[in-house]
Amino acid sequence: MSRPGPRGGRPDVVVSGLGVVSPYGAGVKSFWTGLAAGICAIKPVTLIDAEGFRSRIAAEIPAEVMGTLGSSRRRSRADRVALAAAREALADAGLQGTDRAEAALLIGAVGGGMLEGEEWYWEETRRGAPAPGMRALRSILPFSHAETLGWRLGLTGPKETVVMACASGAASIALGADLVRAGVTPTALVGGVDVLTHICFMGFNALKLLDPTPCRPFDRDRRGMSIGEAAAFFVIEDAEHCRARGGRVHARLGGYGMTTDAHHITAPHPEGEGMIQAMRLALEDAGLPPSEVGYVNAHGTGTPQNDRAEALALRRVFGDGAVLVSSTKSLVGHTMAAAGSVEAAATILALQHGLLPPTANLVHVDPDVPFDCLPDTARPAHITAALSNSFGFGGQNVSLVFSRDLHP
Amino acid sequence: MTGRRVVITGLGTVNASTVGGRDALAGALAVGRSAIGPVRAFDATKMVSRLAAEVDEATLASLVDRDAARRLSRICRLALGACLLAVRDAGIAGGPGLGMVVGTEHGDFTSSRDFAQGFLRRGPAGLSPMIFPNTVMNTMASIAAIAVGAKAPTVTMNQPTLAGDLAVARGARLIVDRRAEAVVAGGVDELFHDVYQRLAEMGALSPMRGRAPEGCRPFAVDHNGPVLGEGATFIVLEELEAARARGARIMAEIVETAWGNVPTAPHTGRAVRADHVSPVARMIRARDLTLVARCYGSGNGDPAVDDWERALLGRDLGGRADLLPPVSLAPRFGQHGGLGALRVGAAALDAVHGAPSVLVHGIARGGCRTAVLVGPAL
Repeated sequence: MSRPGPRGGRPDVVVSGLGVVSPYGAGVKSFWTGLAAGICAIKPVTLIDAEGFRSRIAAEIPAEVMGTLGSSRRRSRADRVALAAAREALADAGLQGTDRAEAALLIGAVGGGMLEGEEWYWEETRRGAPAPGMRALRSILPFSHAETLGWRLGLTGPKETVVMACASGAASIALGADLVRAGVTPTALVGGVDVLTHICFMGFNALKLLDPTPCRPFDRDRRGMSIGEAAAFFVIEDAEHCRARGGRVHARLGGYGMTTDAHHITAPHPEGEGMIQAMRLALEDAGLPPSEVGYVNAHGTGTPQNDRAEALALRRVFGDGAVLVSSTKSLVGHTMAAAGSVEAAATILALQHGLLPPTANLVHVDPDVPFDCLPDTARPAHITAALSNSFGFGGQNVSLVFSRDLHP
Repeated sequence: MTGRRVVITGLGTVNASTVGGRDALAGALAVGRSAIGPVRAFDATKMVSRLAAEVDEATLASLVDRDAARRLSRICRLALGACLLAVRDAGIAGGPGLGMVVGTEHGDFTSSRDFAQGFLRRGPAGLSPMIFPNTVMNTMASIAAIAVGAKAPTVTMNQPTLAGDLAVARGARLIVDRRAEAVVAGGVDELFHDVYQRLAEMGALSPMRGRAPEGCRPFAVDHNGPVLGEGATFIVLEELEAARARGARIMAEIVETAWGNVPTAPHTGRAVRADHVSPVARMIRARDLTLVARCYGSGNGDPAVDDWERALLGRDLGGRADLLPPVSLAPRFGQHGGLGALRVGAAALDAVHGAPSVLVHGIARGGCRTAVLVGPAL
């Protein structure tokens, strides 16, 4: 596909605000503290009755943290998590007035307010008669998050709810960046959110894709993934606009690649074809050779198929052992639609702190994974560019390239 | 839009009125008959609402290979059928430059219901790993991408009322931004008992607890709610020079797109809430409107949406009061996720027949607003 070359005269896009609610707690600080310490937040699940399931663990946002996020009965758990992360990102960016009002809003989402909808539906099924509280159904669809955030935050720019399975959060960042680059808007609030739902927990159990123990990405004995819940939001911005208003730059969003396998509805392409192309397009978009990328935050789900295909794709793009790789899903679980944005946040923070988060629970590295996957302990490394991979059901591949802002 | 020009080179639609490519839609629009009638797919006689615009199952069965159809949910078959028709109409091939954008309001609730029912009946042993993937809303796009070989970005957008319009606008943006050379863009929804029943109970469908008779009457004095339809409409968008180079039958050009948000409480629409700053308001006000021959609107009989749309356009169109109320296609096809793309398709057909400029406008409860300006590809 033709490209105008690196940026092609279009504006640089920078990340000027971060906000995260994760199984570690509310706020970027707690998120980074947990990642840097290599704390695995995957524990016995409490939100769902897991009796009889292959896996009974998940990385949940603690109840005491949820208690601090407001208790509006009109808002779903996911809405509350998203709103908290989005507010932190906007405050971190110091975005005010017209800059804030005209911001675009792109949210990657899948589960919506399904958790509350499920409770209502199951209650009605048990009763065999209409159950009270049908209001929960109004927030069941993913677009409810964008409606809630657009209203509460007073945003008037382009508003989109992007549903691309586990690549949703990354896609929202990528598509938002295009709006900034094209000059449609100078600022955008982008990110992803997903909380635990019965349908997701049961579905991945049914597919036998969940590890009964905390997931072990890239381990020889890996048996699947662990589900998590989170939201991560960013303010992304035209670099010149950000500097002109005195905003702080966390990182530069160099570019992205987005491809489709067009191969299978659940399985990745066995040769990682779409993954390879996504990573190569991202590097081309960023104007970087693979050798300048020091770290890859892998999709790294811990399923045998994904990790095998991703390792193959990484070998083709970077060469054996030529880049450091880790999977933060081993720490906070697979946060579904939020995963791409949560892992983008981890990547940016790793660049900022010069410390790469580890892959937890990695004991016997798969011989087909010829990379240093940073087992168990975070590692200092002063890198200038990093790549974050997100791959979803339906063969949806998104790779994001971030770099330290070297032109403050 | 600046930079690359985007044209429409194909159309496929599977709706309650017709099935086919550009000629089929032109025929259906010319006849002007409403496809709305009593619900046939399930017993609605005890519900508050009883009307819908449904796609005939036998017609749908003829569009998708029988073996493939057995593995696909109804909404996937609707999306796949319309995508295949659009690609055939455009005569375009798959590959790394072909992308896809699918808009939907409700997605595949049938599969979600079936999956949950399996558990409620039999516990963990009742869960079907075959059904679960369908519960994720991007399955329609993924199935269609596999069928047409779309390897550029495949994006699913969840949006009430404007799913199809927004998908077309985003699809055009992907081409302008060089993320794809061509995009199959549109929307899909199916008629599903549980969604229909709940919406009717919540008063979201005609007659909305009103006294006037049930029916879809956008902008009328006695409008009292939308009537649900179902179906899928997709259009093929291409970069102009690439389309010319391959000798494509160009229908029209997407001259400009804009989408934005008019902040309002979720699920509400407010005629009093003005829009001074959204990209849509700015786009419409900045255009020379003298050449606009027609304006299609998202008004679907929902008084909140109808009144809001009329008020917003009244301000933005300035002296072109003759374009109000906008033309609504909801009374013919019923409200569904494909209707926005069908509006864009209708605008493209207007351009084919000489309309110098056609505005496709939309506003949804919750504040999402879209505009797609369509004109002849000169």
